[in-house]
Amino acid sequence: MQFEWTEEQDAFRHKIRDFLHANLPDDWEKFSEHGPASPALTAFAREFCVKLADAGILFPHWPEEMGGEGLGPWEQQILAEEMWIAGEPRGGQYMNVNWIGPTLEKYGTDEQKARYLEPITKGQSLWCQGFSEPDAGSDLASLRTRAELKDGHYVINGQKIWTSYAGLADTCFLLTRTSEDKKRGITIILVPMDTPGITVRQIPSLIGEGDIHEVFFDDVTVPESARFGNEGQAWEIVGYSLRNERLGIPRFTLARAALDRAVQMLKAAGDFDSDFVRIEAARCAALCEAAGTANYAVVQRRVDGLAIGSESSSARYATVMAERAVCEFVIEFLPEALAGASPYLKMHHQRGIVAGVAAGSAEIQLNIIASDVLELPREPR
Amino acid sequence: MQLSLNEDQTQILDFIDSLAKPYATVPMHDVSLALESAELDEALVENGFLDVMAVEELGPVTAALVVEKLARLPFAVEAAASAMVRPLIDPELPRPLCLMEEGKTRKPLRFLRPGASVVVVGPSGVKSFTATEEMIAPAQEDTLYGYPVAFLTALPDAMTAHDADAAEITRAWRVAMAAEAAGLLGAALASTVTYVSERKQFGRPLATFQGMRHRLAEDQVMTNTAYWMAMRAAGTGSQADAAMALHHAQEAAKRVCYDYHQFLGGMGMTLEHPLHLWTYRLKLLTAELGGRGAQGLAAAEALWG
Ligand SMILES: Cc1cc2nc3c(=O)[nH]c(=O)nc-3n(C[C@H](O)[C@H](O)[C@H](O)COP(=O)(O)OP(=O)(O)OC[C@H]3O[C@@H](n4cnc5c(N)ncnc54)[C@H](O)[C@@H]3O)c2cc1C
Repeated sequence: MQFEWTEEQDAFRHKIRDFLHANLPDDWEKFSEHGPASPALTAFAREFCVKLADAGILFPHWPEEMGGEGLGPWEQQILAEEMWIAGEPRGGQYMNVNWIGPTLEKYGTDEQKARYLEPITKGQSLWCQGFSEPDAGSDLASLRTRAELKDGHYVINGQKIWTSYAGLADTCFLLTRTSEDKKRGITIILVPMDTPGITVRQIPSLIGEGDIHEVFFDDVTVPESARFGNEGQAWEIVGYSLRNERLGIPRFTLARAALDRAVQMLKAAGDFDSDFVRIEAARCAALCEAAGTANYAVVQRRVDGLAIGSESSSARYATVMAERAVCEFVIEFLPEALAGASPYLKMHHQRGIVAGVAAGSAEIQLNIIASDVLELPREPR
Repeated sequence: MQLSLNEDQTQILDFIDSLAKPYATVPMHDVSLALESAELDEALVENGFLDVMAVEELGPVTAALVVEKLARLPFAVEAAASAMVRPLIDPELPRPLCLMEEGKTRKPLRFLRPGASVVVVGPSGVKSFTATEEMIAPAQEDTLYGYPVAFLTALPDAMTAHDADAAEITRAWRVAMAAEAAGLLGAALASTVTYVSERKQFGRPLATFQGMRHRLAEDQVMTNTAYWMAMRAAGTGSQADAAMALHHAQEAAKRVCYDYHQFLGGMGMTLEHPLHLWTYRLKLLTAELGGRGAQGLAAAEALWG
């Protein structure tokens, strides 16, 4: 065991930091109050990701066959940390490089690869992920959006919800039902978002404008060649994709940065002398650190080529604990932060409260830990 | 960053496993509040397990791994202070080692007995002396801790002053306790999981009820992170990491000591089930070095001044 970064890893981190420092606009902090899926940040990311691509830090972790540098899981982690801590200037394009690209490479047809990979590598595409439905959230496999094959075309009808980026995305990675067989009846279709019959409605939210949407599909018709993988293969493919993305966003880094910021503000106001406040701040820092170590233990499994399963749920839950603690700390001791005194802390709060819901809720992580880490006997169904 | 065990570490942990096998379970019909074994202690010393920190290619992380591993046994072994703090003071100090905060004589000291080295750490430096019969008041016979404890009645006039920095010794002390707590947390979790997976009520194992599953899962998260934070603190040598690691371990300890006895129902109130051999050590560790508040203040100081 060895807890120091190598010189190369340090250099890689500094390269990213220096790039961000040199290329983010002066008003970036205020600007990043727009959520990662907002129109403003999406438009910004379309330019920014081009620069990242030119500098070789858009997808350096991709294998060389895909045009990457084949850097390892630690470098991918470092890249994700530095971007998230900076307020995620890639907007929704982080998904492209984390899992959409590698999944296209593995399961896509030649036509699909030719069509979709290049725009990703140029920083020019935005995807959305059409999984959740009004009646299929945690119980995703009960989804009902139907795709029927008629005369060489899929006709899609149904509704998705909570779809991030949908308002501006060019393509939807859509889960549809093609048969009644629960998990094996789900099929992925890559749907251009400008296809007639798609209606997107923004949902007003606590987490920033333009972040979450409802998406309606009314007789949306796409050629059969838009199917990704085979009929019924969605569950397997999503499982593979998430293996690249199991830990999700390295939220603990931003939580920790927000905490540091809060402490600096308290100090400046002369309000960081009380033992109680100091102990609470330290508790928050310890929880961020806890989440960091748990996340790193999972990254190590990737480095070692081991399967990543339920350990990532444990790391995810540790992250939820850290996010919650920091959000609560800021409000209790710096209520002014969310009312204009700190765009950065407001941005953190908006993103932080999402940790226990998006991409699989906290309680679902606990269910997984109970069954698969602790191997407790299963709940009756 | 390299978080897997190296070959040496794997070998050492495997070796401890085989050496400690006879001590991995509680002797039949034993209903002690605390278990100790002189033979186990001797075997550990003889095989050099408490001296790994000074070996260059092993170092403090390996020492923390050894301490964590030994704490999983139902037997209380004075390993943490000896393996992780003693090398920084004087590797020749006779064991057991009792670490004491300067001025805190009212607190029970773990492993205090005649011949033990008491190390006093505080503003006036790092000093030690060998405890004698006259200085020791035994704790009440059925003291509620899973460690042997006793009180100091007096400090000797003369103590050996050590050329060691009190802040650095306190740091190592925090890491040592965090590593010990991590092992106790792991063993207590395993013991509880076994019980609730087997015990049936309402026609099904207790562990199938979500009210229990979720609390156990949260306990797993705390236990897993306590382990990693202890190892990390050992590896980095940072004051902040050490204080956060012990803070987190103490927070976890408070939580699981309640949960696990609760989950065992009446069985959790008995000496027939071994759970207390881990939890009633954890309970005492929640008070170590001033408890969470003191760790929090130390972490805040190290992080933000
Ligand atoms: C900001 C944000 C962005 C998102 N982006 C996307 C996106 O781009 N694409 C997409 O497809 N989805 C997206 N989601 C949806 C997200 O994946 C779902 O919200 C999540 O899976 C939970 O589903 P739900 O909201 O229907 O909650 P529900 O499933 O209704 O859950 C409500 C509560 O019940 C609990 N619960 C549910 N089942 C159990 C159980 N078995 N045991 C115990 N407790 C249970 C949950 O933990 C939760 O606390 C996003 C969500 C958010 C908040």
